[in-house]
Amino acid sequence: MSHGAGGEVMQDLISDIILSNIHNTRVNGGVGLEDLDDGASIPLGDYEIVISTDGHTIDPLFFPGGDIGRIAVAGTVNDISVMGARPLAIANAMIISEGFPGEDLERIIKSMDAVSRETGVSIVTGDTKVMEQGKLDRMVITTTGIGVVGRGETVRDSGLRPGDKIILTGSVGDHGMALMAFREGFGFDTDLESDVAPVWGIVEAALNVGGVTAMKDPTRGGIANALNEMADKSGVGMVLDEDSIPVREEVKAVSEMLGIDPYEVANEGKVIIGVDPEYAEDVLAAVRSAPYGEEARIIGEVTDDKHVILETSLGGRRILEAPVADPVPRVC
Amino acid sequence: MGNMVEIVLEGSHEGIEEFIERLKKDKPPISRINSIKKDIFEVNEASFTEFIIKESSSSSSGTSVIPADVATCSSCLEEMMDENNRRYLYPFTACTDCGPRFTVIESIPYDRERTSMRDFPLCSSCMEEYLNPLDRRYHAEATCCPICGPKPFLYRDGILKTHDPIKMAAELLDDGSILAVKGIGGTHLVCRADDDEVVKRLRSGLGRPNQPFACMSPDLESIESYASISDVEEEALTSRRRPIVVLKKSRDYCLAPSVAPGLHNIGVMLPYSGLHHVLLRYTEAPAYVMTSANRPGDPMFIENTEIIGGLQGIADYFLLHDRRIVNRCDDSVVRFRGGEMAFIRRSRGYAPEPYEIPHVAGDVSAICLGPELDVTFSVLKGGQCYVSQHIGNTSRYDTLLFLKDAVDYLMGITGTEDVDVIACDLHPQFLTTSYAEELASRFSAEVLRVQHHHAHALALMLDAGVDECICIAADGVGYGDDGTSWGGEILHCHGSDYERLGSLMPQRMPGGDLATRYPARMLLSMLRGRYEGDLQELFSERYSDYFPHGEREIGVVMRQLESGLNTGISTGTGRVLDAISAALRICGVRTYEGECAMKLESEAFRASGKLSMPFEVKEKGGRYILDTSAILLDVMELIDRGEDRAEIAHAAQKAVAEGLAEMAVLAADDAGVKCIGGTGGVFYNEAISLAVRDYVTERGYRFIQHRNSCAGDGSVSLGQAVAVALRYR
Ligand SMILES: [Fe+3]
Ligand SMILES: [Mg+2]
Ligand SMILES: [Zn+2]
Ligand SMILES: [Zn+2]
Repeated sequence: MSHGAGGEVMQDLISDIILSNIHNTRVNGGVGLEDLDDGASIPLGDYEIVISTDGHTIDPLFFPGGDIGRIAVAGTVNDISVMGARPLAIANAMIISEGFPGEDLERIIKSMDAVSRETGVSIVTGDTKVMEQGKLDRMVITTTGIGVVGRGETVRDSGLRPGDKIILTGSVGDHGMALMAFREGFGFDTDLESDVAPVWGIVEAALNVGGVTAMKDPTRGGIANALNEMADKSGVGMVLDEDSIPVREEVKAVSEMLGIDPYEVANEGKVIIGVDPEYAEDVLAAVRSAPYGEEARIIGEVTDDKHVILETSLGGRRILEAPVADPVPRVC
Repeated sequence: MGNMVEIVLEGSHEGIEEFIERLKKDKPPISRINSIKKDIFEVNEASFTEFIIKESSSSSSGTSVIPADVATCSSCLEEMMDENNRRYLYPFTACTDCGPRFTVIESIPYDRERTSMRDFPLCSSCMEEYLNPLDRRYHAEATCCPICGPKPFLYRDGILKTHDPIKMAAELLDDGSILAVKGIGGTHLVCRADDDEVVKRLRSGLGRPNQPFACMSPDLESIESYASISDVEEEALTSRRRPIVVLKKSRDYCLAPSVAPGLHNIGVMLPYSGLHHVLLRYTEAPAYVMTSANRPGDPMFIENTEIIGGLQGIADYFLLHDRRIVNRCDDSVVRFRGGEMAFIRRSRGYAPEPYEIPHVAGDVSAICLGPELDVTFSVLKGGQCYVSQHIGNTSRYDTLLFLKDAVDYLMGITGTEDVDVIACDLHPQFLTTSYAEELASRFSAEVLRVQHHHAHALALMLDAGVDECICIAADGVGYGDDGTSWGGEILHCHGSDYERLGSLMPQRMPGGDLATRYPARMLLSMLRGRYEGDLQELFSERYSDYFPHGEREIGVVMRQLESGLNTGISTGTGRVLDAISAALRICGVRTYEGECAMKLESEAFRASGKLSMPFEVKEKGGRYILDTSAILLDVMELIDRGEDRAEIAHAAQKAVAEGLAEMAVLAADDAGVKCIGGTGGVFYNEAISLAVRDYVTERGYRFIQHRNSCAGDGSVSLGQAVAVALRYR
């Protein structure tokens, strides 16, 4: 699979094989499987329980800015958070290859612990299996998170309305580009680093202000995928000001050398927030004072067109498309 | 009827027959008779006493005729230059033989009240002409005069007070200003073509550092001061369609070098609207740059407020008028190769005149959306294929909107309410592909996805009137049916099928589309694993300035080629020509489509042809493969031997051409086919096109090329329409 894995090809796999063969997909009218949101919800009394699960395989296990442990906890915490729910607990299943170095495992567990303490989330249950050598590439971690939110208060991908402002909480492409550079052994003398971080602080700050209509964390497929998915599910379009989307210089340089669009690669510590325009400035201010939210910007607004459009400083408008797994050249 | 002429006449049998013969022979110059149907009714005595033309009915049957725009005719021109005529120097003078058509039509039938001329009610003198069957302006829908017609004005922070805005515009141009000039179907940015400074200022304002600008000259003599004109080129230049003709610069080329930098040719046109005639009557330079007023990739501005707003900081002044442009229509561009014409762009003056394909089309109707860049679309209906004006790069949002509008509009003026099929490219990411899905659900139509080069081939075969051939489809990129990028293909086309019998050697494109922009990436890719010396060292020494991030990037590309990260596969001829161009240090960055290959052609044009280069065709994976890496290795060797750059360029280009031709000959021999065709943007290249022609004809094959269609992507929608016709008839 190529760099932007998680684009349209993956969507087809999900709908053709998985969704069509599972029948019970929803509890008490909450958010269910076929909503393909960041997680699911189960309404109970005055609350909704939010659940999200994620299997983590990553190469390399340790990379600039983090490791598989940090990603496993932060990623699941983030999926719960962008549903608008306070993350409470994590269940952690690990499958480890026989002979996996003990000190590496310890490092990974310690970094899981660090994120859980940072966000006040407990790791309450787990399972560990060891597989015969050669059957598995080092390790797989599956984390399932549980959170809670007031009944009817889950934040969906699909809640955007024309006129809403779009807030992006920081620079894009850091995680994907750092990993790619590191993995391919390109030996960049850069300080390229993954942005992996828990975003509950950002989300909580935004929700406290109010006016949030939709949220998503732009992981696989980058902001190109996340923005298109949000627009698609909401039945709207967007106009974005390209100059206000922050891309770090190092990320830009690597992207220019590999020919890979920073908008199409994963972020692990960013949120895209749709906000009622009346609340937009206040939400922005709150997000900016939260941890990992200092660089937040309003990048555009929601339209009633169906396309996600980037406006560039040179005055042109181009369409931002959802990435595909294997891009085929299209320029003459 | 709204879309045909019904003539009721009375007379003897012989008289009527003679009338019909003379109708065919003496018909008005811009008319075309598709067919004549006659019904005879016997009457006892004559009863017709006068000649009348009845109002057009709004009903229609069969297919419609939508005329294209026509350049100012000589009679109108005479009037405009006659001091005593009431239309003296009036820039919107038109008659039944000339003037705007397609660009002013809002709906059919074509009558004044359904054109943007309805904003200008005829004065009594014009009305008299309009109603007089003996007048040249009898029912001339676009006629007008200084009293009743549109008026020009000059603008800069407000309308400038002058009794003669066109004369003042001419003076401003001659003083080195850049003007936006609104014309018939669009707007031009105009400046002196003999003033390097102003041309460069226009380039930087537009963000087009190198793309050749077209020019307009007042007459043939002026053109001859900077370009040479052959007989066929003169015919095209002076035709009533007035396309831009790509001419060879002459030895005593006197225009600014920045007009068409690095190229041996230049696009030139003669005035085609009254406004141009008047403007160029006042000016002094031999030629003026006349380039479409748009941001790169976006549609031309056509509305006064948009022209002024969008070109702020680019144009110093605006020469505008108050007639609405209903249909944007870019200038057409043609080029001759060995005396044979092909369209580079078929638009103003031609669009939307249909191609007739009743023999293949049956009564299937379709919309065909073309590829992504250089898009035209087609409406197929009643055996006619209406190919639209030039639309452009549909990955740009505004161009996509233009496409959508233009589709609705062309459906309207062709009376198309329903369609059976929507055709589009095979490329999954093209926006025209997703638009096809949208249209298909709107019309409950089927979608037919046509392979890009097959569409090229079908357009050529329609043009040449053959139904089986071996086609060389050579261009930059097209989505192949194996999911890789094609562009140097030998296809055996018959009926609605094709087989790929040969191609250029598949090469990796490190960085995907980035390798198109920076051709040295392609060069590195093609030499890797074949070059005997140290590639990193070679590139650091010779080509590091061709990589924006210098030596570090060379290392990255080398590793990228090892790991395979974002290195799609291409058999594109464009990529090979780019790599040769980079190897010879002719072009290191592509700033417009085809730049590196065009500059290679221009460099090769200087050569005597004393060098020749071998080429090698192998058989692999069931098809013929031309070893393009071997050609690049030879190029490197000739550079090291100190050979002349133009000679190497010529030899390498010829090796690519003859390699393609050899594969085609082998395939034709296998398939028992006697006809070989050349299509795709590469066939604009005169040297390649002639080399292929000579190679195949010397071996006893018939060679066909585009004559009345585009070799490039502008005719892909036409080819798609043929594919629909063949599949669904
Ligand atoms: Fe093409
Ligand atoms: Mg969400
Ligand atoms: Zn005329
Ligand atoms: Zn008049």
